[in-house]
Amino acid sequence: MSVRNYLRPERLPTYWCPGCGDGLVITSMAEVFEELHCDEKNTVLVSGIGCAARAPGYFTLESVHGLHGRAVPIAEGIKIVRPELNVVIISGDGDLLGIGLNHLIHASRRDTDIKVICIDNQIYGMTGGQKSPTTALGVKTLTSPEGNTDRPVDCQALIKAHNSFYARATTFHLPLLKKAIRAAMEHRGFAMVDVRSQCPVNYGRRLGYRNAYEMLMHFKQHYKPVKGVVDRLAHDEIGITSENPKSQIQNPNSA
Amino acid sequence: MTHKLILQGNDAVALGAVKAGLRFFAGYPITPASEILHKLVEFPEVKVLQMEDEIASINACVGASLAGAKAMTATSGPGFSLMQEGIGLAHMVEAPLVVVNVQRVGPSTGMPTFGSQGDLLQCRYGSHGDYFSIVFYPNSVSELYRYTMEAMNAAEESLSPVILLSDGIIGHLSETAELEDVTIKERSLKPLGHGNRHFTSLTHTGSYPKATAPSAHQELIAGLAKKTADVARRYVRYEYLPVKGSHTLLIAFGAVSRAAYHFKDHFSIFRPVRIFPMIEDLKEIARRYKTVIVMEMNAGQYTLLVEALLHRPVGFIPLLGGAINLEYIKERIKKCLSGTT
Ligand SMILES: Cc1ncc(C[n+]2csc(CCOP(=O)(O)OP(=O)(O)O)c2C)c(N)n1
Ligand SMILES: [Mg+2]
Repeated sequence: MSVRNYLRPERLPTYWCPGCGDGLVITSMAEVFEELHCDEKNTVLVSGIGCAARAPGYFTLESVHGLHGRAVPIAEGIKIVRPELNVVIISGDGDLLGIGLNHLIHASRRDTDIKVICIDNQIYGMTGGQKSPTTALGVKTLTSPEGNTDRPVDCQALIKAHNSFYARATTFHLPLLKKAIRAAMEHRGFAMVDVRSQCPVNYGRRLGYRNAYEMLMHFKQHYKPVKGVVDRLAHDEIGITSENPKSQIQNPNSA
Repeated sequence: MTHKLILQGNDAVALGAVKAGLRFFAGYPITPASEILHKLVEFPEVKVLQMEDEIASINACVGASLAGAKAMTATSGPGFSLMQEGIGLAHMVEAPLVVVNVQRVGPSTGMPTFGSQGDLLQCRYGSHGDYFSIVFYPNSVSELYRYTMEAMNAAEESLSPVILLSDGIIGHLSETAELEDVTIKERSLKPLGHGNRHFTSLTHTGSYPKATAPSAHQELIAGLAKKTADVARRYVRYEYLPVKGSHTLLIAFGAVSRAAYHFKDHFSIFRPVRIFPMIEDLKEIARRYKTVIVMEMNAGQYTLLVEALLHRPVGFIPLLGGAINLEYIKERIKKCLSGTT
């Protein structure tokens, strides 16, 4: 299958605003799916609710677009019943790290073999720009007009607390993003890819970014890619961490 | 084939589910429903997950169901409240599954070890939006076994979540049970991994979200309503015990109907087992009686709906705080008949 075959042209244009990072992430996912020969018989996508959570609907793979915060238990139900399927979640920071954080931690504790791709735009995009659990300290949003005073969730610490796979990338560093998604797909067990992405309309605009390009340039300057597989990433580093041995993707077609 | 044994109500639910082909159960411990979870762990053919809460449990059931497994969860009031959004999801993505609610006294934590019937309206209207759950409410251990199977069958036929109501009294009751076979319905829906479907909680037409099209929504809801009504028609389950010369019809269900049997020589009794959608035959039956009285363990939930169905006032006997007292019921019946409720 070529990359194009993973996406539904009849659904274009997407629901997303111009400049949104979500499109970059789904393109990277489609490229990885092609490399790994994922198809509608061996791979299923799951999401919660939010802008990012609309992603599965643009894929030709079978998918479930569930409830806000509940992508993880839906994915776990699927994986337990059909262990031969690759079950991949794609959803937002509010969805996975706010309302659904409980499930995320428990799934990583259970080491359920699901892949979680979190598009972290540090904002509740769909609902108009309220602070999210990953909004940085001091950042002004609709609901933090004086600057956010809640410390952001440390996703890496939570996931690595159970020795699960964690990788971080941005929508500027696309080769690394692809590498991270692929490593997560090839990991056997719970895997999380934390993708820092831009929401120019409901986040960047209020902070003085004039467009998505300026936000991407910020990612370029702020985040430092690390080489190889490391134990832990500093807050401004991106790359792959893993303590568990790697293994081949489960692909019933190549079995 | 039937066989007899002494069994607890909750265990009968577990056995019925296994017999009906259960392959997945996700739940969270809660009195008085936990024995269902405990029992199911004994069956290797059922994947049993003890999850972090009831929200995770119902959502895992939706995933498991779409993945091809017959799925069930069991809980009581507090957990049932948490599951409401997930029940709406299961209707929207048409995932067949069974939710067992072994009712206890609410609101809130209430009286965990005491049975109640306080969740009737929540069964019917608990999730937001318009949807139409099929709900069964048996009244004995034998029936719990049978109607667990029927609930699973109805779920398969309607591709929707079906609710099996129980209560702390019949759930924890041990009595001689006759386990009767029911023909099992197999899954008709193709499991995930067979095409290009997109199951979405948004208003949709097929695999396509139509979240801003009123006509798509009207069609979707009409379709869901028709589908569940058609299947419910195959499950017209009730018990009607008329008494010659009685001008009074007592309506009761679940644990309370067992108390109603004490009056069966004096008053006619109507016991809906498929309590939702409501049994249409009741309209015709009720016409034969001067007085209709509903007895239930809540402040008047089914009474409200019986009045709406019959378009006439009905008497009501509230049984609150887990107490069922025959003397009290007798007094209240007298009051209803003398018109001094
Ligand atoms: C139970 C529930 N609460 C609230 C909402 C409203 N809601 C929809 S999307 C969303 C936030 C999504 O944020 P995020 O997951 O970060 O996704 P983004 O839109 O930023 O991609 C909220 C609060 C909902 N749909 N369901
Ligand atoms: Mg977000």
